[in-house]
Amino acid sequence: MNRTVQFLAATAALMCCLLCTTVLFAQNQIVKGTIKDAEGKPVAGATLVIKGTKKGTNSGSDGTYSIVVGKGDEILEVSFVGYRSRLVEIKGRILLDIVLEEAKSQLSDVVVVGYGTQKKSDITGAISSVRNKEFKDQPVSNLAQSIQGKVAGILVTTPSGTPGAGLLVSVRGANNPLYVVDGVPMLSESNSSLSTSYNTTGDEEGSGQNISSISDINPDDIESIEILKDASSASIYGARAANGVVLITTKRGKNGKTEFGFNSFAGIQNVSRKIPFLDSKGFVALEEDARKQDLIAYNQDPTPFNNLYPGFDPSVLTTPLPSSWNTGVNTNWENQIFRTAPISNLQLSARGGNEKTKFFLAGNYFDQQGIVIENFYKRASFRMNLDNKVNDRISLGANTSFTYGRNRRSFNDDTYTGIVTNALGASPLMPVYNADGSYADYTLYQASWLSDNPVKSAKEIKAFTTNYRFIGTVFADIQLLKSLKFRSSFTADYTNLIDNQFFDPITSDGAPVGGKAIEGTYRNLTWLNENILTYTNNFGKSSLSAVGGFTAQSSRYEKTAVKAQGFPEGSGLENISSASTVTSASAQNFGWGLASFLGRINYAYDEKYLFSLSARYDGSSRFDPSDRWGLFPAFSAGWVLSKEKFMEKSEFITNLKLRVSYGLTGDQEIGDFQFQRYWTPSRYDGNAGLRPTNIGNPGLTWQRNKMFNIGADFEIQHGKLSGSLEFFRGDRTKLLANAVLPATSGFASYTTNAGDIENKGVEFSLMAYPVKNPHFSWAISFNMSYIQDKIKSLYSDNELIFAYADLFPTHILKVGQAVGSFWGYKYLGVDPKTGNPSYSNDPQILGKATPDYFGGLTNDFKYRNFDLSISTQFSLGNKVYNLIRTTYQTLGYSPGGWDANNNLFQVYANNATIVNKRWEKPGDVTNIPRASLIFQNYNQQSSQFVEDASFFRIRTVNLGYTLRPKHPGLYNSLRLYLQVQNLWVLTKYYGFDPEVSSNGGSNPQTAGVDYAAYPQARTLTFGLNFNF
Amino acid sequence: MIKYIISGVLCLIALSSCNKILNVTSPNAVDNSTIFTSVNGLRNARIGMYSTLQDKNYYGGYFPLLSECYADNGTTGGYDVIDLNDIASRTVQTANLYTTGIYQAIYNSIYTANSIINNISKVPNLDPTEGSNILGEALFVRALGEFDLLRLYGEHWNKSSEYGISIVVTIGQPKVPIARSTVDASYKQIIADLQSAITSLNTFNGNQYISLSAAKALLARVDLYYGDYAHADSLATDVINDNNFALFGPGSVPQVYSSRLTPESVFELKFDLQNPSAYNTLTYVRTTALRTDVAFLASAGLNTFFQGRPGDVRGALVDFVNEDPSIMPDGRTQKYRGEQTKDNSGYVLRLAEVYLIRAEASGRSAGLPDLNTLRESRGLADLTGADVPDSTSFLNAVLDERRAELNFEGHRLFDLARTGNVGSILGAGVNPIMPIPQREIEGTNNIVKQNPGY
Repeated sequence: MNRTVQFLAATAALMCCLLCTTVLFAQNQIVKGTIKDAEGKPVAGATLVIKGTKKGTNSGSDGTYSIVVGKGDEILEVSFVGYRSRLVEIKGRILLDIVLEEAKSQLSDVVVVGYGTQKKSDITGAISSVRNKEFKDQPVSNLAQSIQGKVAGILVTTPSGTPGAGLLVSVRGANNPLYVVDGVPMLSESNSSLSTSYNTTGDEEGSGQNISSISDINPDDIESIEILKDASSASIYGARAANGVVLITTKRGKNGKTEFGFNSFAGIQNVSRKIPFLDSKGFVALEEDARKQDLIAYNQDPTPFNNLYPGFDPSVLTTPLPSSWNTGVNTNWENQIFRTAPISNLQLSARGGNEKTKFFLAGNYFDQQGIVIENFYKRASFRMNLDNKVNDRISLGANTSFTYGRNRRSFNDDTYTGIVTNALGASPLMPVYNADGSYADYTLYQASWLSDNPVKSAKEIKAFTTNYRFIGTVFADIQLLKSLKFRSSFTADYTNLIDNQFFDPITSDGAPVGGKAIEGTYRNLTWLNENILTYTNNFGKSSLSAVGGFTAQSSRYEKTAVKAQGFPEGSGLENISSASTVTSASAQNFGWGLASFLGRINYAYDEKYLFSLSARYDGSSRFDPSDRWGLFPAFSAGWVLSKEKFMEKSEFITNLKLRVSYGLTGDQEIGDFQFQRYWTPSRYDGNAGLRPTNIGNPGLTWQRNKMFNIGADFEIQHGKLSGSLEFFRGDRTKLLANAVLPATSGFASYTTNAGDIENKGVEFSLMAYPVKNPHFSWAISFNMSYIQDKIKSLYSDNELIFAYADLFPTHILKVGQAVGSFWGYKYLGVDPKTGNPSYSNDPQILGKATPDYFGGLTNDFKYRNFDLSISTQFSLGNKVYNLIRTTYQTLGYSPGGWDANNNLFQVYANNATIVNKRWEKPGDVTNIPRASLIFQNYNQQSSQFVEDASFFRIRTVNLGYTLRPKHPGLYNSLRLYLQVQNLWVLTKYYGFDPEVSSNGGSNPQTAGVDYAAYPQARTLTFGLNFNF
Repeated sequence: MIKYIISGVLCLIALSSCNKILNVTSPNAVDNSTIFTSVNGLRNARIGMYSTLQDKNYYGGYFPLLSECYADNGTTGGYDVIDLNDIASRTVQTANLYTTGIYQAIYNSIYTANSIINNISKVPNLDPTEGSNILGEALFVRALGEFDLLRLYGEHWNKSSEYGISIVVTIGQPKVPIARSTVDASYKQIIADLQSAITSLNTFNGNQYISLSAAKALLARVDLYYGDYAHADSLATDVINDNNFALFGPGSVPQVYSSRLTPESVFELKFDLQNPSAYNTLTYVRTTALRTDVAFLASAGLNTFFQGRPGDVRGALVDFVNEDPSIMPDGRTQKYRGEQTKDNSGYVLRLAEVYLIRAEASGRSAGLPDLNTLRESRGLADLTGADVPDSTSFLNAVLDERRAELNFEGHRLFDLARTGNVGSILGAGVNPIMPIPQREIEGTNNIVKQNPGY
């Protein structure tokens, strides 16, 4: 008997319909059975209702149910989230096993929108949604990294491979969206009180590595990520929504048996692409060729030599290289500073509850060792989300999370005294250590580019950032009337961050002052109070929902830094109290507040005609009191064609919706107090005083983004193929800009609203299930975006922008061009006769940092218990200014590294093997000029170093095997998997990775500069998901 | 109904808390409108004004060093920084970030001085003596800024040139561009400011502060550039006769640079450990520094120059010996040693220069004793009339003495320019002045005109 049932159930599953045991029907009979999915896994919590009645039940945790069926009850309606609902005819059976098919259609998915949720089928704005299963198990510290390439219109760039690094997230061409984590708005800020980037004179150079505050959110805790892309969906966040909004929803408790989850992975990372460098032999040969070529040129015409060095003595071109060029050492510096590094993650969670109380608990420990020696990022995080139903009217809840992060920073990442920067160009003839075990003195070797022995700076500059973050929310929901609900919530978001930096006296940064130390703290407390009323009701064919509320958010933060120098040598002491002198101490306080009224009305007629109207009225402390309130309205409408009579019956096109929206959003990220004309503390001769630092601009207002969006969602054969197409035009006006002032004003610039950028684009996304049966399924998701931004007007046209304040201008802001356009001389190639390079006479635009097209393709396969997922990503049309290549393609140049006897001691730097393609004899046709000791046969400020950085990347490959217990109850499932992150990149770009950005920063004006950014890792992990 | 009550209550709560949330005041900054409402505020602004002179781009480092390294006293090192290389090769682009930074920093000092000059009469309960002295200091700072702008960006050697400076004497209309005045008008403004400063200054607070003698010394320098030699002579005499200042003997010369606020300085901008200057990190860094570490190097030519002056104790202030081979054949100045403290002063006005001004202004016969006074104090023998047989050779001797004394203090380029020697010494076609920053041309819509040759 048992066997028969099993056999029959299996058959039923195969045929995707049901069979039955033939038992006679009686009145008021109990019908029993099990609800399973296509794979035979029990479905717990499914709803069964007898059609036309209110009689119903839920399946238990083992999928079983029983229901009393009376006379005339003929059809069971079975539904569960994520599965296609189905109607089952009872036909008098008493044992009825039901197979639910996983829904391919996403129409009934619930999508989180600002201050509420909506069914996907009702949405009229441009919202992209990413579920946990699409990003789980990735070995990344930042959630944004896990959606790279997965969402149309969203460009996520990894500017640096640093563990815990911030990412550049651009929503439809606008950088730095607002993140809203369980309703708490926050920005991705680099929460560090100190720079980790100093130039050789000890001044801060750029912001250094960006450690993102969003890395405090553990990706494993996230249920879903929604991205509000157009103005109509984002405008409910008003003054902060101009760059898009990313809504993050963490997991919550569920009614039913407590489920435990243990997720863990461990693996190794290494540098995915290295730059091939000349070895000792090649380095010497390059130098000999440089001298040989120079000698030929000198013999033809000595004038240029004498112009450069009056009384030039050509013997520097012929004297044998001194013994320092023959050390017998052959150091591969990349191998010295890079390593194969472990990465691991442990997550234990519990999820459960009953009708009254539900909970989600999770603890996580993430440990990523950097692929650059000594560097690491560790994070421990804890989360508890609780819901309690007090009575029919009132329910309470809390979301709390605590994160501890500790990061050993890689110093001077992406600037010119960093570990990686020094290693690229270091002489292969230089050993890492002397024979006595001390660090080799870089000044005695051949590359003057170095500012220190790279291994020494990696080991002896100790920079740690330790971060504690607590986010806690309590909320109460009160059902005031049947259709009116009130929610009030209170949130505290607290960050305490400590920076410690110690420069050992033996490092070149610390040497002149006997070692130095910097300690900094950053403390932030943000309060948020939200009071929201929600009204929903149906009137005949009309349905109406409305949201209205008031929120207030207030933030205070403090940054302190103490610098000290002079440490007892050899004592090993590094704390600031052992320093001989404290050289500076600073404490700065900032703060802002935002008060907002918000509202939204959604109206639908017959689920066919959809309308939405929303507005937010924001007041911000960042603007002058006389003009600090702004209204951000939006409107959208949708028409579900597939519900019209002429399409209703179609079994081919099962859903077709047209959407249109228009709205206004704002951006207030200008820094605090910018509207004021103020003076700041200064010192002279031991006296404190004040000096003018900000000219102020009382007229300062929000940056505005007016966006128009037309979209269409379609679904073919109930989701076998589905997708959407969007066209948008964003008009970003009143851009917050540092407008050039005449210097005679006493100030270089002031913050103002000037300029206008137009963003236009098309987004296309597609989901398909070419094969879907119980044993084998194949799902494809594809997205592609075309975005074009164009500057329409500027406060002052042709402004040159410096990616590095003490280098030459790298970018330009020019009307008619894209933001982030590169600027420099055009490289005209090599003269085949002389091997000399030539350049255009005038600088010009050399391309742009943003891609024309980008997107991704993900394929998911399932075969019996195996699953395989391959995610790829591509970007076309973007360029990178490879500034670091100006070091490793110097072709033997030296700005005077010879002594009075014309012995050549030093040249500028070792070169990459690309110089092996250089011009060597007349007639050679190549793009790399001849080698030269005396002349700079390259121009840093030219298109020679602006490279095509289009790429195709296999981002994730994940192969898993799932075990299910023979006896349910032992455990639910165990999945083992093997994953490779960043498997392969196809690109013409010569540097480590085509995805980079200067200073690790998020400024789109200086995007796409590579100054030896921390390279990206290829990560191989083995992991398991154990549910019990 | 309940809905309306709740909404009403919420709105009330909301409105009352709004102001509290939205009025955030900065604990780090003071609003402009409150500065000149008290004597303390004025005093704070005065200290702030000195602090603006300390800007890295101005007397904190770049202004004096850049002009030296554009001239024949120095050259540049650094990590192959184009804008720095362009200084040494005298091919400065209009967008050069150093010349841009200096231009902005000087106008920031002028703005601060103008804030004081324009608002001082509004300060209540101000002691007239103190007020007058502060006004004098502000007028001095404005004149110093104007003159430094004229020397670096204007055709200061040619009174009839239209390429003077943009003169700003008020605050309040930041966006309104100000066209350049003629060189003559620029000089007249500078001289007028200094004359007012001389009548206003009344207190000597130490040579780290602007004093009556400092104003006279600066005006003497301006007169020398302008060609008003008699006036320069008489002002220099006043300064030389001021007992607050004295020349050291040959053995103590290095102390001018290793000590602080010596009597050799008429106005020395003081720095300290907590408020360091950039001189050391730009010119020395550390004993074993490479060429790439040092931005502003002493040129081989300066070494040759001192080799031709045996006995000159000032030669020892240039390090051509114990350096890394990559620096050679150039060297480093040792005027700004102190790698630990980095509190090297900005030498705005020194008594030695005042002697040299008087020597030059009073001509060959009357000036020779002044030249010799300085030479004696630097370990050199007196020059006789036979050594400098005519006014040209005397002027050359003064220029050499200026080079020996004032190298790396921001004089060489201006001395060469005002004596018409740029072409012969720096090379034909070398522009004696820097371009007006590209930003300024664009920010003023071409109302500020670019210098010839750029």
